[in-house]
Amino acid sequence: MVQAHSSEWLQAAFSDPVLDAQLSFRTALKALAEPGLVQTMDRALELDSLQPATYALCLSFLDGDTPLWLAPRFDTPMIRANLAFHCGCPIVAEREMALFGLLDESELLDLSDFDNGSERYPDQSCTLLVQLSSLDNGPQLRWRGPGIKDVQAVELPVPAGFWAQRKARSNFPRGLDVFFAAGEHVMGLPRSTHVLHNNHEEAA
Amino acid sequence: MHSDPNVAKRQHWMGVLARAAQQLQPYADALKDAQYSHIRHPEIGMTLVRGRIGGTGEAFNLGEMSVTRCVVRLEDGRIGFSYVSGRDKQHAELAALADAHLQGSQQQHWLRELIEPLAAQQQAGKAAQAAETATTQVEFFTLVRGED
Repeated sequence: MVQAHSSEWLQAAFSDPVLDAQLSFRTALKALAEPGLVQTMDRALELDSLQPATYALCLSFLDGDTPLWLAPRFDTPMIRANLAFHCGCPIVAEREMALFGLLDESELLDLSDFDNGSERYPDQSCTLLVQLSSLDNGPQLRWRGPGIKDVQAVELPVPAGFWAQRKARSNFPRGLDVFFAAGEHVMGLPRSTHVLHNNHEEAA
Repeated sequence: MHSDPNVAKRQHWMGVLARAAQQLQPYADALKDAQYSHIRHPEIGMTLVRGRIGGTGEAFNLGEMSVTRCVVRLEDGRIGFSYVSGRDKQHAELAALADAHLQGSQQQHWLRELIEPLAAQQQAGKAAQAAETATTQVEFFTLVRGED
């Protein structure tokens, strides 16, 4: 008998790998182009603790050239085996090395080690994929910037400390781009978006 | 071949299955007589063939070839893999199914019914080809061929 390997954890991913990956990628582009609007991303099934939209983001973004940092909550044999099989992405232990970070809400209070790019190559920053329990019912904030006509009201349930961390890592053109995913929905937050807090408004 | 006998055994049957191509067709019904799903549907791609061809033994990029790969999962969770040359998706799927069956309790059955006949056929084909080629060998009795 041949012994069981990590292959026992494998599951099917996209049912149509090419079309589903293209659709999901297109949806992700749309999410970044229209910050604060909720997009539907339902081409993948859930995998362990990864919800469909989060897994679809992984499947469409990750490949052999994109080192990934996994939050401890997602660092399970099943997720590791399936990401290795379907994406082939290296999983790194150091946040500084990662081009993508897969986070849950408990990781949002410290973003200091993720790479926010360089002046010459701001595009080489780390992109954060954040899985939340929902995309609404949080404190109301208003977003402003490219892709938003006037002001976009957003109620993301993320801790206030996240916004301070994001600001500390922003130095345009350097900065962190973030995708928030919950269930089958995605919202984009590019580095160019200004976040206005209701009480003390910042200059846009 | 791998030093672990289990791995070496699997390498052997995967090699036989990869070379089988149309020879697998007669077994298609038996191989598909199980509940299975695709982890990776048969898909065609390219791979770079490299070899230690240079005079100093360094790797040389010989060229690219088309490869079809497939991964299936049987109902009981066994997973079969295949990588076969060419663009025959049916071949890749049957080879993956056979690999999955060969990892189960019926291994001896499948080795006897599938792998051994295929290996014998392939061996016979290879021997026939070698014999046919041998008839074209020309002997130059007056020339040294570098054999001694």
